[in-house]
Amino acid sequence: MFSYYIRLALTSIRRTPVLSALMVLALGLGIGAFMTTFTVYYLMSGDPIPHKSDVLYAVQLDNWDPNDDPTESASDVQPQLTYQDGQHLMNADTPAIRQVHMYGSDMVVVPEGDDPPFNENVRATYQTFFSMFDVPFIYGSPWDKRADDDHASVIVIGRKLNDRLFNGENSVGKSIQLNDGFYQITGVIDDWQPTPRFYHVDAGRRFSDSEQIFLPFTRAIDLVLGPNGNTNCWAPLDDSLPVIEAFLKSECVWTQFWAELETPEQAAAYKDYLDNYVRDQKQIGRFQRPLNTFISNVREWLVVNRVVTNDNRVLVRLSFLFLLVCVLNTVGLLMAKFLGKSGEVAVRRAMGASRQAVFIQNLVEVATIGVAGGVAGIGLAWLGLKGIENLYRGYQHLVHLDPVMLATAVCLAVISAILAGLYPVWRVSRQAPAGLLKAL
Amino acid sequence: MKDIGPIFRSLLRNKLGVILIALQIALTLAIVTNAAFIISERSADIARPSGLDESNTAMFITNLFDSNVDQRQLYRDDLEAIRAIPGVLAAAPTQSMPISGSGWGEDLYSNPEMQSNESVNFGKFMVDEHGLEAFDLELVAGRNFTPDEMVTRSFEAMELPKVLIVSQALADSLFPDGDALNKTVWDEPNGEQPMQIIGIYDHMQNAWPTSENVNRTALTPEISLFGGQMMYVVRAEPGQLDQVMQATEAYLSKNRSRIVEIVRSYPEQKSRTYSRDIAMVKLLSGVIVILTGVTGLGIIGLAWFSVTQRRKQIGTRRALGATRGDIVRYFMVENWLITSAGLAVGLVGAVGLNWFLDTQYEVGRVPLWYLPVGMAALWLLGQLAVLLPARRAANIPPALATRSV
Repeated sequence: MFSYYIRLALTSIRRTPVLSALMVLALGLGIGAFMTTFTVYYLMSGDPIPHKSDVLYAVQLDNWDPNDDPTESASDVQPQLTYQDGQHLMNADTPAIRQVHMYGSDMVVVPEGDDPPFNENVRATYQTFFSMFDVPFIYGSPWDKRADDDHASVIVIGRKLNDRLFNGENSVGKSIQLNDGFYQITGVIDDWQPTPRFYHVDAGRRFSDSEQIFLPFTRAIDLVLGPNGNTNCWAPLDDSLPVIEAFLKSECVWTQFWAELETPEQAAAYKDYLDNYVRDQKQIGRFQRPLNTFISNVREWLVVNRVVTNDNRVLVRLSFLFLLVCVLNTVGLLMAKFLGKSGEVAVRRAMGASRQAVFIQNLVEVATIGVAGGVAGIGLAWLGLKGIENLYRGYQHLVHLDPVMLATAVCLAVISAILAGLYPVWRVSRQAPAGLLKAL
Repeated sequence: MKDIGPIFRSLLRNKLGVILIALQIALTLAIVTNAAFIISERSADIARPSGLDESNTAMFITNLFDSNVDQRQLYRDDLEAIRAIPGVLAAAPTQSMPISGSGWGEDLYSNPEMQSNESVNFGKFMVDEHGLEAFDLELVAGRNFTPDEMVTRSFEAMELPKVLIVSQALADSLFPDGDALNKTVWDEPNGEQPMQIIGIYDHMQNAWPTSENVNRTALTPEISLFGGQMMYVVRAEPGQLDQVMQATEAYLSKNRSRIVEIVRSYPEQKSRTYSRDIAMVKLLSGVIVILTGVTGLGIIGLAWFSVTQRRKQIGTRRALGATRGDIVRYFMVENWLITSAGLAVGLVGAVGLNWFLDTQYEVGRVPLWYLPVGMAALWLLGQLAVLLPARRAANIPPALATRSV
């Protein structure tokens, strides 16, 4: 029976090709536009590290200018720490399971032979980084804790760099030249691209490539490797000290700090620890603002840093309204179409088809149009996402149609079409056959 | 207009169809006015002048990785070589470019007693005496730097500049009375780091296009040697930018102790900086075009069907003496009535949607004149869309009335 309904639906669609094409087009455009904007929104607000996002916490201390506006939420506090605070926490016995203090920089890779040197992004960090953020290794392992303490010239490199320098072979134990020094490789990590790159969310770099070189933080400081991310200062540097020392002891914020806290109790204890640290610092004249320390897990951190922009939200709202227009459009067209079919329906009813049968038969036709609209919508969404990728810089990792979104698109299409068709189909199946037959 | 009565009564018999089109029109008005408003806001942002000779300017960033090289000397050699390239109008060292997103912000104090929250924030560009020309800035008062005013910031020695040239906007913020020239300002509170304003130039934007103080900028005569990054701004003779960029890149790449990281024309930088706004403009323009298209096609589709359904009625009217013009007018008036109802609802919708978008996402308030313009556009759209089916209706022969009776 069902295949017969589908045949009938196709015949009916073929009978009014322009009107049917209009409906498929309208549904397709509405769904395509909405899916495009919603996919971007969904991926942006996605969890970059689902299995650990509730135990990894970004740390904020409010060391800013006491004359500045008061702090109301974590979004008002600098997202980074000073070197001195980060180092204190890193070396202290805190309630955290693991902590990491780090910053982004860049160095020039000088290959052996004639290949030209090139720039790579570098993350100056601690060996805890790799276990905290669950970074997958293909060869070797992170450097050990001693390397951090010894300021050792060791590095972990990414798969892409390993492919470029060593054709993808196991390079553990080998050394490469960075700037004017040599560094021994202890491990090679697999492609690892948290999206968004939550561990360092400087505006403009939120969706950029994760680093290909990881170097002990302690060594990077010895090298005077400057940060390539935001550096914010409010107080003048102490000009009685050499520049570098003055900078490291300054109130400038430029490093990221994360703590791994497994239970709410641990998180509360860690927050207390931070509060006490700031109270101690107030004694020696620092932190002259009211006490404001914040720890935010990964999901909270993305909200604090407004990773999903207002533009995304505006586009999702507008494209939803657009979809609504398309559905209204389809309802109107279906009304017109089914009223035009009254005669046919009357004949079917007179020949013994029940209301229910007529209802279901017409619903199949509507659903067919819905599926066609959904397929068109997916195609248009794919085109739309390609367009987004070209329009926005740095969205390459972000933009793709994932299975969840594909399934959503099809469901959305069929639901939209059925919602759009329900009333027209119901109307036509309620018509009394006799009156219409007379008119034929 | 005597037709309105019967047309209106016949519309009441098909309430749902009328409501559907009217709702579409209403939503279309709401979306189109808000989208058009956002487009115009973003376009205005993008169109703001940076102050530079945009189409003839390029930036070059190199990264020196050999710490044995004398970086200060390399700056001198580079600048001498770049200035000798044919087609180069001016070249200067800098540590930032306007609206590039990466720069240096500082605070100035116009008297030593000022608190830090009263200081004036500005974007700083560290250049030499060629900076004014390379950035295409016009001195409105005072003088340029002299070579002996240049200082060098490095890890070893922190020389601080004694003079600066400020933008008119910065001068006005520091000294609202308009007497900024030759005044002393301080780079730190409590009278630390005094500098003298030796010149005022017309206009240049800072590195951050969304900042409130985007027009407050200043040039200082200094070169900073922190890390190996070195940056140049080069302004070419009109039409010579491509050659100048190639020649400069070729020169910079000759030195094997560094890599050339970025060679970028200013227009390219601008489209990168504003990529989100450009994207928003393009996406919303697309929405407007497609939306009006869908709404227009919807009107055509429904009118077409209603013509088909009323063939006999139309034929009868024609047989009873209605002219073709009467039939066309009937559908036009019908559409005008429906559209007007939709627009009435849409007015509320447009204002409501804007209120929502503004309170939630800070898009700003749509100026009221957008509403009549949007309404006029949709009236026109409706009338144009209905024209085709109406003409088809007008072609129904009067003889139809006599058939199949």
